[in-house]
Amino acid sequence: MAILEEPIKQVLGLKNYIGGEWVESKGEIADVANPATCKVIAKVPISTRQEIDAAVEAAKEAFPDWRRTPPLARTRCLFRLKELMEEHFEELSRIQTMEHGKTIDESRGETRRGIENVEVATGIPSLMMGYNLEDIAAGIDEYLIRQPLGVFGIIGPFNFPFMVPLWFAPYAVATGNTIVVKPSSEDPISQVKIAEMAEEAGFPPGVWNIVHGGRSVVSGMLDHPSIKGICFVGSTPVGKDVIYKKCGETGKRVIAQCGAKNYLLVMPDADLEKTIAASMTSFFGNAGQRCLSGANLVVVGEGLSEREHNDLYKKVSDVFVNAASKIRVGYGLDESVQMGPLRDRGKKERVTGFIEMGVKEGAKLRLDGRNVQLVGDWPHTCFLNPTVFEEVTPDMTIGKEEIFGPVAGIMKAKSFDEAVDIIHGNPYGNAASIFTQSGKLARDFQYRVQCGNIGINIGIVAPMAFFPFSGMKNSFFGDLHGQGQEAIRFFTESKVVIQRWF
Amino acid sequence: MEEMSTTASAIISFTENLEDSSARFYKKLAYRFANDRETFFSFANESEKNRVLVTRTYQETITDALEACFSFKGLDQSRYLTSTDLAPDADYSTALKMAIELEDKASEFYSCVAEMSKSLLATIPRAFKRVAERRGNRRSVLKALLDKATEK
Repeated sequence: MAILEEPIKQVLGLKNYIGGEWVESKGEIADVANPATCKVIAKVPISTRQEIDAAVEAAKEAFPDWRRTPPLARTRCLFRLKELMEEHFEELSRIQTMEHGKTIDESRGETRRGIENVEVATGIPSLMMGYNLEDIAAGIDEYLIRQPLGVFGIIGPFNFPFMVPLWFAPYAVATGNTIVVKPSSEDPISQVKIAEMAEEAGFPPGVWNIVHGGRSVVSGMLDHPSIKGICFVGSTPVGKDVIYKKCGETGKRVIAQCGAKNYLLVMPDADLEKTIAASMTSFFGNAGQRCLSGANLVVVGEGLSEREHNDLYKKVSDVFVNAASKIRVGYGLDESVQMGPLRDRGKKERVTGFIEMGVKEGAKLRLDGRNVQLVGDWPHTCFLNPTVFEEVTPDMTIGKEEIFGPVAGIMKAKSFDEAVDIIHGNPYGNAASIFTQSGKLARDFQYRVQCGNIGINIGIVAPMAFFPFSGMKNSFFGDLHGQGQEAIRFFTESKVVIQRWF
Repeated sequence: MEEMSTTASAIISFTENLEDSSARFYKKLAYRFANDRETFFSFANESEKNRVLVTRTYQETITDALEACFSFKGLDQSRYLTSTDLAPDADYSTALKMAIELEDKASEFYSCVAEMSKSLLATIPRAFKRVAERRGNRRSVLKALLDKATEK
């Protein structure tokens, strides 16, 4: 199968976008490599504290005028941005594959999900409306208005370089705020393309800013008194101990969407063929680098004898392993490929460490992804094939910690209650799914399970743009979530007016 | 034997190539056979519209296909390939026969992928079905032209 044409032909020198100008950074420069080919495709600056300060000042300066811009006029910029994204749909998608490694179908899915957030935010004239009530007392009316707050910082993760900042950015600017986006320095190109389009779409200088970098840029955002809130998607240790804590200290609003360990329950009455098909994309899509990825498949023996349960477990495992072993791994721009590489060598080594730990702790390695077999002749540096462990228990490292790679653990639970206890025994609460034909069990699952995103016969519980991307326990820190109505509330202050005319 | 599984992306690339080569072919016929120039140009334009329809539908619904872990199982694209290289000395009847074969295979391909994608959002099979119908209509027009040409 031919490789689709690469849109990046030469090494890109990335700049910051501050106050409507593309500015060369004075910081150090890091390489951005295509994880499939290992070729450097861009040079990204690790910006200085002064540069993040300059971006925040530019955003602060742009705020009063942008806030006064009628919502419908702000919306027109978003409509133009959407049109540009549609026009460049293919280029944007191929860039994601080049900078992150995901397959082209996955990249196009990510592009679509990102655009959907822009589409939803174009409804701001309706979404941002307040409400009112006449005659709350004699001759007195009361109403609520929503007002923007100022400058927001958006810190993007590496796993969805295009989409995730769009869970926040369109809503922030639509409601009249201004933003500074810090893309992941591992794959920053998509956000540069979005900023170029925002510029072309007519967002005034300073409304949409980009500052590349690492910890010092994040610290700069957290410390800056003019930043009113932070949106962060990344690991739990950083989200909880750095972002959430610091925002609490400085009085900033915060959305910190963090790590996960997601369980998929297979009940005895599940449609096995469809369950396994949905599980494949859940466990191995995006090479498992997704906070909604399946981590543990729990075969539940509710109502079965021990022997029947063992038979079911074996059957599910066999079908799962067989399907996983057929996933074609390679460069995502090869259209025959179904799974790409990990984002970089370090991430592969981390996942490999988990596999070694799984073996050491006594789980049964049914499919060893360390035996790399690729479609095409690519360096093995960042690649792993799907890995499947059986006989995983909740106390094992691979059973409880987030691996963030293409590794599946298959577990056993005697009953539905035991399976729910296993889920609740884990500190994360991002997503959980049940595969069953029973409405009663599905309802119990939805009612009881303490996870923010619940799937009933769904492998990837990815909320659409008009619903919040939820999360509980160690998977989320904050009050309101990204996307949809919750994002509107996050980016606005509710003001109540009570009036009487004498 | 194991059923081959084809990604959505590969199918869309195949349809893009199919419509591009069809458009080129009909433009060639339009220049070579002036009597039916308008018909052939309209086919070429329609192929461009088909390409836009299929690509747009795919781009707007890809998340549904992905989340359903969808792939076209058992589809052998090579069955639907046909030559669009028209020999310099090919006469009108030969050209029409080539065109009919092209339409037969294209129509069959689109009907097949429409059937296979029925489990996805309805817009996907509907787009494929619509193109299959358009290609089927072309076949009828071409057949009539061929009958007329061979009567003479």
